[in-house]
Amino acid sequence: MNNYFDIDNKFFNKDINKQNIDLYDPYEGFIRGNMYKELYDPYKISSPYEIKPMNEQAEMLTYIDALCFACIDLGLYLDVFPNNKDIINLFNKYNRQKNSLMDKYQEKFGPLTLDSDALNAYPWAWNERPWPWDNN
Amino acid sequence: MWIYEKKLEYPVNIKNKDLKMAKLLLDQYGGADGEYAAAMRYLNQRYSMPDEKGFALLNDIGTEELAHVEMIATMVTQLMKGATTKELENAGLTPNYVYSDHAIFPLNANGVPFSSAYIETKGDYRADLESDMAAEQRARATYEYLMNLTNDPDLLAPLSFLRQREVVHYQRFKELRDYYLEKYGKSYKTK
Repeated sequence: MNNYFDIDNKFFNKDINKQNIDLYDPYEGFIRGNMYKELYDPYKISSPYEIKPMNEQAEMLTYIDALCFACIDLGLYLDVFPNNKDIINLFNKYNRQKNSLMDKYQEKFGPLTLDSDALNAYPWAWNERPWPWDNN
Repeated sequence: MWIYEKKLEYPVNIKNKDLKMAKLLLDQYGGADGEYAAAMRYLNQRYSMPDEKGFALLNDIGTEELAHVEMIATMVTQLMKGATTKELENAGLTPNYVYSDHAIFPLNANGVPFSSAYIETKGDYRADLESDMAAEQRARATYEYLMNLTNDPDLLAPLSFLRQREVVHYQRFKELRDYYLEKYGKSYKTK
């Protein structure tokens, strides 16, 4: 891992919540497509595929993807169970980490969203590759 | 409204051309149980959900399905990259070629165009949520059939991710359905 940001300690510390809902951390959940351990039900593959980023940009994006994913999955749960305070706190923690990492990424590699400060550039930075469907 | 994030929900980087899998994956794009149908179905059904839990869940799963549409389209695009007309013909992709050249168009694996009939909406929470639960199970099964037909890890990784999302979505729809049955009782009446 690069020393650009401290993934293990800063972003993916273990979270234990009082209601004993057993969750993966954002990266482990992301590679499985699921944050809730009891719902994980793999098919055909013996273990989840690790993401293998080719460069620093892809590596940073992997952790943004993981945090975005954690927020999506916790968010769906909260839609149905809006009174789970522990999950609300965890959602907000991951959301803050995601926003801070997205700011760093966009400053370095260009905009991911149309409200990014990275759009204050000439020429118009939004068009720059990679677009999501581009492959290397 | 929506805000676009210029990235996929889960990365897709397919190195090997595979027109057979491209043709089959099109079913998850423009087919009856595909991601397009799912996105449009949930986003359309959300207006007639009985309360805010239903608004939120259908809105958010529908939005996530849009990201899955983008993943499937990316997979098909990359699987077809550099294919000649002859190769498309040999892979049974002639209907797609005649319809739209190398472009992505929501057709199913047999070349039948997407139909709004796939956007099942009944305006009755139980009918709609149970239809959504079944749709998630059908899509999960389709992903398993697709996974049976390839050993390319570049394809299996995103297919596994998408399949697991169907499992999670099914569970959330089921929890919402159960909550409504508890809240509104057996009459299904919400007013």
